[in-house]
Amino acid sequence: MSSLSANRRLGAVLWFASLLLLALPFVFPFWWMITSSLKSASEVFAFPPTILPETWQWRNFVDVFGYQPFARQYFNSLYIAALVTAGTILVSSLAGYAFARIRFPASSLIFLLLLSALMMPSEVTIVPNFFFMTFLGWVNTHIPLIVLPIFGANGVVGTFLMRQFFLSLPGEIEEAAMIDGLGRFGIFWRIALPIARPALGALAIISFLFSWNLFLEPLVFINDLELFTLPLALNNFTDNYGLPIWHLQLAATTLSVLPVLVVYIIAQRQVVESFAMSGVKG
Amino acid sequence: MRRIKAFLLTLALLLVTAGTALAQGETLRFSIWSGNQAHLDMLNGFAESFRETHPGVQVQLDVIPFADYVQKVTLQLAGGNPPDIGWLAEASAPTFIEAGVLADVSGALEGDSEYDFQDFSQSALGLWQQGDVLYGIPFSNSPLIVYYNADMFEAAGMETPDVLAERGEWTWEKFREVANATAEATPDGVYGYEQSDGEGYGSRVWIAITPMLRAFGSDAWNDQGECLLDSPESVEAMTLYHDMIFEDESIVPPGERADFFSGNSAITITQLSRTAQLQGAGFDWGIAPLPSGPAGQVAIVGQAALVVFKNAPNRDLAIEFAKHITSQENVATMAQFFPPARRSVLESDAFLQSNAIVSPEDMQIIADGIINGSVVPSHPNFPRIDASARPIFDQLWRPNADVGSVLGQVCDTISPLLASD
Amino acid sequence: MSYAQKAERRVERRRGWSLARRDALFGYLFISPQVLGFLVFVVGPIVAVFVFSLSERNLLTGQSTFVGLENYAWMFTADPVFRKVLVNSLVFTAGLVPLNIVLALVLALLLSRRRPGVTLFRTLFFAPVVTSAVAWAIVWRFMLQNESGTINQLLQLAGIDGPNWLREENWAMASVIVTRVLKNVGLNMIIYLAAIQGIPREYGDAARVDGANGWHVLRHVTIPMLAPTTLLITIITIVGSMQVFDHILLMTGGGPANATMVLVYYIYQQGFEFFATGYASSLSVILFIVTLGLTLAHWLLRGRER
Repeated sequence: MSSLSANRRLGAVLWFASLLLLALPFVFPFWWMITSSLKSASEVFAFPPTILPETWQWRNFVDVFGYQPFARQYFNSLYIAALVTAGTILVSSLAGYAFARIRFPASSLIFLLLLSALMMPSEVTIVPNFFFMTFLGWVNTHIPLIVLPIFGANGVVGTFLMRQFFLSLPGEIEEAAMIDGLGRFGIFWRIALPIARPALGALAIISFLFSWNLFLEPLVFINDLELFTLPLALNNFTDNYGLPIWHLQLAATTLSVLPVLVVYIIAQRQVVESFAMSGVKG
Repeated sequence: MRRIKAFLLTLALLLVTAGTALAQGETLRFSIWSGNQAHLDMLNGFAESFRETHPGVQVQLDVIPFADYVQKVTLQLAGGNPPDIGWLAEASAPTFIEAGVLADVSGALEGDSEYDFQDFSQSALGLWQQGDVLYGIPFSNSPLIVYYNADMFEAAGMETPDVLAERGEWTWEKFREVANATAEATPDGVYGYEQSDGEGYGSRVWIAITPMLRAFGSDAWNDQGECLLDSPESVEAMTLYHDMIFEDESIVPPGERADFFSGNSAITITQLSRTAQLQGAGFDWGIAPLPSGPAGQVAIVGQAALVVFKNAPNRDLAIEFAKHITSQENVATMAQFFPPARRSVLESDAFLQSNAIVSPEDMQIIADGIINGSVVPSHPNFPRIDASARPIFDQLWRPNADVGSVLGQVCDTISPLLASD
Repeated sequence: MSYAQKAERRVERRRGWSLARRDALFGYLFISPQVLGFLVFVVGPIVAVFVFSLSERNLLTGQSTFVGLENYAWMFTADPVFRKVLVNSLVFTAGLVPLNIVLALVLALLLSRRRPGVTLFRTLFFAPVVTSAVAWAIVWRFMLQNESGTINQLLQLAGIDGPNWLREENWAMASVIVTRVLKNVGLNMIIYLAAIQGIPREYGDAARVDGANGWHVLRHVTIPMLAPTTLLITIITIVGSMQVFDHILLMTGGGPANATMVLVYYIYQQGFEFFATGYASSLSVILFIVTLGLTLAHWLLRGRER
């Protein structure tokens, strides 16, 4: 008896220890990012490396805003992501509902064609899109950053998600509504959408993060410092020679990562489930 | 009554917005690659004096790091969002001229007697002129010079480069010796030689190797579009360079930083404009000419010009501004950082006195370099040559590199690009 | 006739338009924003890429000349970098996918126990997934510097001389792979977790009754039951690995000596650094074909399971 429980305790200890070890390369970068952003430019490279900063340089966080229009860039990322989220929710829920609940000719075929966009990397279409945006005069504006995610791969993921969700609803709801005289749009707006809140929440999280993390499109389409989004801005904390000013760059990275992390930690169950929903893809 | 009020309100709003739009005037976008505060202050000073004759004009300085400059500007041009005016380096001049994206500025300059276009030296104009057409106004005709950290030389017990040069002993072999000595006399992480701007393995690789190639009698390529990097002289020069990096370990290796201007290297080879970083330097420093080699003494000159883009939103205004910056008076102001293309300024005593921290004797070294110097290599296909050569050069920056073989590969890769025109 | 069908008929008679017609109208209307946007911003550009690949378009001059299949000829016969790029892409995928899947499985198995702390660890392993790729690459690039990077400093404390992680060819590829796996393995982990938790306990219990120990249960019950999930995750991860661009751009810039230049990056480099947009388009066509092939494979395999 005692050897069994001793075995079990050993097992538990081993389990915990191996998880701890495995977790190191996942957690250490965050730790190092945060503490380095509080160090002075020279201490960042000190040898032996210091676990905690000697003097806490809070002014790094202030300097970040002085180096380039960082507050503006932060705001850019925020409002673009908000618009992308809102737009994706609208467009995808409409399309997802139609594919799931309305019978119309060729709907399966069209849906299949849409799915082909899911795996297409944006690098395939970036060159023609660049010429196209130039033609429209949308280069060096935020419009491509909003429009491309809504209708591209991110939007298709959203349509897929919403279709999956709407498929799982019982049919009687609509029948009852139709009898009551609600048209298709009324059913969608007043009945289907409110029920879909969990799926919409998942879609919102995925879309927001997708837009927040976009790098290629801003890199190609945006020239002006004022119009930069966060990923571009982070990459721009460089000196006259183009080499990174590490303590500033890490401070800015911390500022961009922390809010997302905090929200994630608070809502982590929902975030994880959102990704699981999209990952499993039916 | 309400409608009248609404109408008046709208009218007032329109007038206010129109009024502010008028009062704001145009904004000229000026792209440059130096973010140095002294340079920016000087350029902003020119903007202010420009406003005396052109009220309300704002000049927005867009600083793009040198390594990304051609790419970013090209993207802006391709995206229909060109700057109005910008700097352009000699290496990319043929590319941009052939692409037809630069405006012809000759009309505005030649008629004006006060401007005195004849004052510009032919050697400076060469790259930018095609027949009657002028695509850029050269503002910097800047030789590569040796900066040295006198304190480190003293600590190593070595004579300084300018003293050696006066005796004719300043050769690349000697360079190797002093770089080694200073590197050894200093702690780890401090080196004997740092390439220009710390970009010797990146965007400034051609600046790093050309002085050696030419001192040994070779070059990157010649006028006939033949690659000379695999010639015996080139291989000899580059082997010396390679040994200094990996055997002596006296040169800053790839991936490391040891900024001369922060006191972390004994020597650097770059241009006059970097003296702006020596304000308040914590060490004694000096200037010397480039080391000589088997082919004798060489001077290498980097050139940059002000160009106006053909599709710029404010093209004519930009040409006016370019003219303003390169007036005789303003060129004299720029001379402290950017050796002038105007002969009158170059040959004046004022030039030798123009830089507060560089002695007239040292400024003479600059002046001599301009007269005797050859320009850094350029080619219509330069961006692609540079981009395709650099990954292959990467193989050279390794301890066990076969110098001859790698240089042969570089030539194989860039020869088709050199030939096509 | 059911109540619902009677209701349908009543509605039809009232409106005068068949339900089918109205449904078709609303169906198309509802999907039109998504589909139209898709046509304009995805299908159109894909067609354009095929067209552009047949010409040589210089980004700076804006001129384009028709060259037929010359871009492809150059790509397959004369471009030394392309061969390297293909090999690199293969190596990157072949290195990343097994590492990712095995690690995801291990983590999921460890976290499938109901023990205190499971939620905490799950949160930790998933944190890099929600972090931006730029932030992750910036921090790792900082830590992997040669002399002054944290990793090498820590190694030095242990007396080991660490390699130049990002500037030696093989180490650069390894570094890029491992850091990328760390970023995304959390995603595969939770998919595995969901699948593991879906395995009925009876199977494992029955095996244990028969005398099997933990390892046997793992090898002969759990892993085989996870085979469908493993298949899915493998294909998704393969396709995902072919799209990795910003991570490599920020960590190594494709170097040293093109050692980490993969196809997706090569397209960007040709198009936006070399300004050869015609050639970049032909490379995009190749990427499109490969991705399409993998997508079809994915589809077929999934279809077969149903």
